[in-house]
Amino acid sequence: MSTVTLQPLRALLADWGRSEGLSWVFVAKALVTAFLALWLAYRLQLPQPSTVLVTVFIIMQPQSGQVLAKSFYRLIGTFVGLAMMVLLIALFAQERVLFLLSLALWIGLCTAGATRYRDFRGYACVLAGYTAAMIGLPATLHPEGAFMAALWRVLEISLGILCTGVVNGLLLPQTSSSSLRSTLAVRFRDFAGFAWEGLAGELPPTRFEQLNARFAAEAVGLENLRNASAFEDPHYRLRSGRLARLNNEFMLLSTRFHALYQLLRRLHVAGEQGVVDALQPCLAEVAAVLAPLRTRLCSDAEAVQLAERVEACKVELMEQIRRARLQLNMQQPNEAQMLDFNTAAELLYRFADDLHSYALTHASLLDHHHVREQFTGAFTPRANGTAAIVAGLRGSLLMLVLSAFWLATAWPSGTTLVMTAGMITGLVSAGANPKRLAGQLFVGACGGAVLGFTLLFFVLPRLDGFALLCCALTPVFALGATLLTRSQWSGIGTGLLVWFCMLSLPANLTLYNPYGFINEYLAALLSMAMATLATALILPPNRPWLWRRLEHDLRMRVVFAVSGKLKGLVAGFESGTRDLLNQAHGFSSSRPDVQRQLLRWMFLVQEVGHAVIELRQEQAALPAQSCYGENTRWRRAIRVMGRALIRLFVRPTEQHRQRALTAVEHAIAAVRGTPEPRAPQFDTSPLRRVLSYLHFIRSALLDPESPLAPAAGAAHAA
Amino acid sequence: MPREVHVLGVYMPSLTLLFLLCVLLGWGLDRLLAWLGVYRHAWHPTLLRVSLFICLYGALALCIYR
Repeated sequence: MSTVTLQPLRALLADWGRSEGLSWVFVAKALVTAFLALWLAYRLQLPQPSTVLVTVFIIMQPQSGQVLAKSFYRLIGTFVGLAMMVLLIALFAQERVLFLLSLALWIGLCTAGATRYRDFRGYACVLAGYTAAMIGLPATLHPEGAFMAALWRVLEISLGILCTGVVNGLLLPQTSSSSLRSTLAVRFRDFAGFAWEGLAGELPPTRFEQLNARFAAEAVGLENLRNASAFEDPHYRLRSGRLARLNNEFMLLSTRFHALYQLLRRLHVAGEQGVVDALQPCLAEVAAVLAPLRTRLCSDAEAVQLAERVEACKVELMEQIRRARLQLNMQQPNEAQMLDFNTAAELLYRFADDLHSYALTHASLLDHHHVREQFTGAFTPRANGTAAIVAGLRGSLLMLVLSAFWLATAWPSGTTLVMTAGMITGLVSAGANPKRLAGQLFVGACGGAVLGFTLLFFVLPRLDGFALLCCALTPVFALGATLLTRSQWSGIGTGLLVWFCMLSLPANLTLYNPYGFINEYLAALLSMAMATLATALILPPNRPWLWRRLEHDLRMRVVFAVSGKLKGLVAGFESGTRDLLNQAHGFSSSRPDVQRQLLRWMFLVQEVGHAVIELRQEQAALPAQSCYGENTRWRRAIRVMGRALIRLFVRPTEQHRQRALTAVEHAIAAVRGTPEPRAPQFDTSPLRRVLSYLHFIRSALLDPESPLAPAAGAAHAA
Repeated sequence: MPREVHVLGVYMPSLTLLFLLCVLLGWGLDRLLAWLGVYRHAWHPTLLRVSLFICLYGALALCIYR
């Protein structure tokens, strides 16, 4: 009887533990960390316990790997900031104007760096910037003690980092590695479902677009998770190279599938039913492998079996394709139909091949050491240079205006004014919507001001001892930490906690000075309001100017594919294109039509760029025979085509598209006219493979749904 | 070993330098154990790593404050 009633309760509890329970654990950990750090700060008699807690709350993250990674980069950022500040103080201790000018320049540089890199390296840039402000500004008032003050700040920051790292790593760690593992498995399951539906021809266009955007976002997210996991778990550090390879292979796999799917769709639209029917058994062969994968998560051990299944399927698929070709030949197809069939069949075979290597890499995660660990194709994030410069200039300008105000009014709280501006600029620089984040930080700091005033002047004077202080601080910290766990309000949580700790936390020797307190808070709030205004008014990133630039950057990926160095080209192309799309998607989240347009560009760039890279790899691996020579007609025609494609993607006009089409057709004719002493199968004949890549580029250029199509081009120009 | 050493004209507690030394040693030890796969058998790998570091630091600190 009791088991019957206990069962649902247990299930409910387990459910709670996976969802809401995690937030409670996070809040509890935040409180433990904060009080441990605060106690140590008082016990060690550090001059500013507030810096310790500010550090704690800035690096506080739900996942322990993220905390460790952030801590590591924060330490680096702190030391760089410290070195810079000691230099600046040594140079300009007597000259505040020069000092503030160079500080503004430094903050601008760091903000630009943060916008440029956007991962943990960007985080180090942010911290180098605002640690400099935190150390340098108070020191300008007392240059004689500047060096000691700077050392104290570094000690305080290190203590905060140490406490957060230890508590988050030891107490109920919510590991990044488990999150990485589940993301990988879920992504592969969803991809299998997506590919299965696509091969069956049942994929609605909206879902196709959504999933593609999601896979791009996950490719970027996984790279960050991989970095964080390497910090946290020695098990994953040994597998870091394989995980990077897995991510890269997944990108390749999805690009290949994308090409296949587009080709099949175009065949449908063009009414080439004969070719599609001939391909059907081959498609069914691959779909049969995918079918069991789309309903459950694939573990490492199952990946071993998957690899074996795919290997068997590849052999069978080759036979199927030969049979289908014979069958199609009996219907007397024309040249174009045969080319369509060959291209699709080859893409399908290569898709199975990619699936095989993905499964092998996934299976290799089982072993502690493996040859697949050697992977050199790094994930290369791409950011728009202009956007980074704009962010840097915005930060510098804000610092300059506020510094000028401070110098002109000689306001005693001027340090807080300028320091807050430096911190805000850094914190918001990496987000997709800086205006919203700055607004949230402002709201949070307002809440912190009210709570801080009440606590400091009405509650704390009646208390005695550390235990009671903790009791008084618990509600505030718990509220802030709860807000941190809700992603839509996390900015408010950060604002509340950071500025509460910075301005209303009692030091070892508590000073109750209401005027000073109100002055400080006024300075902080004024500075935040100015920062919000600056992010809203000075070229905010979620506006058409940046969309156009990112679209241009996306198109330039094809130029990179045509002219970049062949070594590391695949990984660089795949990851960079996805990273660009992911940013563009975030910056245009308010405009679904813009998102759609950018996604269509990304599709086209992916198709053409990928085919061009395959072409180049094929040419680099040609055997030494006279028909494959550097100066044969077909290779010259392909070089001409490359230049035409560059012109087209730099300036996408109808005229350039026609020229590119002519160049591709010319290249196709040249390849066809070259005699080759090999069997005309795509596994034996390089020219056959070259022909299908060329044909694929041609079909991508002709696609009526691409953004290059005449109708779309006209709308674009208007 | 003296309890304070002077580095570039600044007196520092030897413990600070020892801490930095231990970070390096501990990092090396950690890499080695991870390579050998010792952590796979641990219930709470992070706890083991932190404890190992504390043991190392404690043992070296005893050389100074014995």
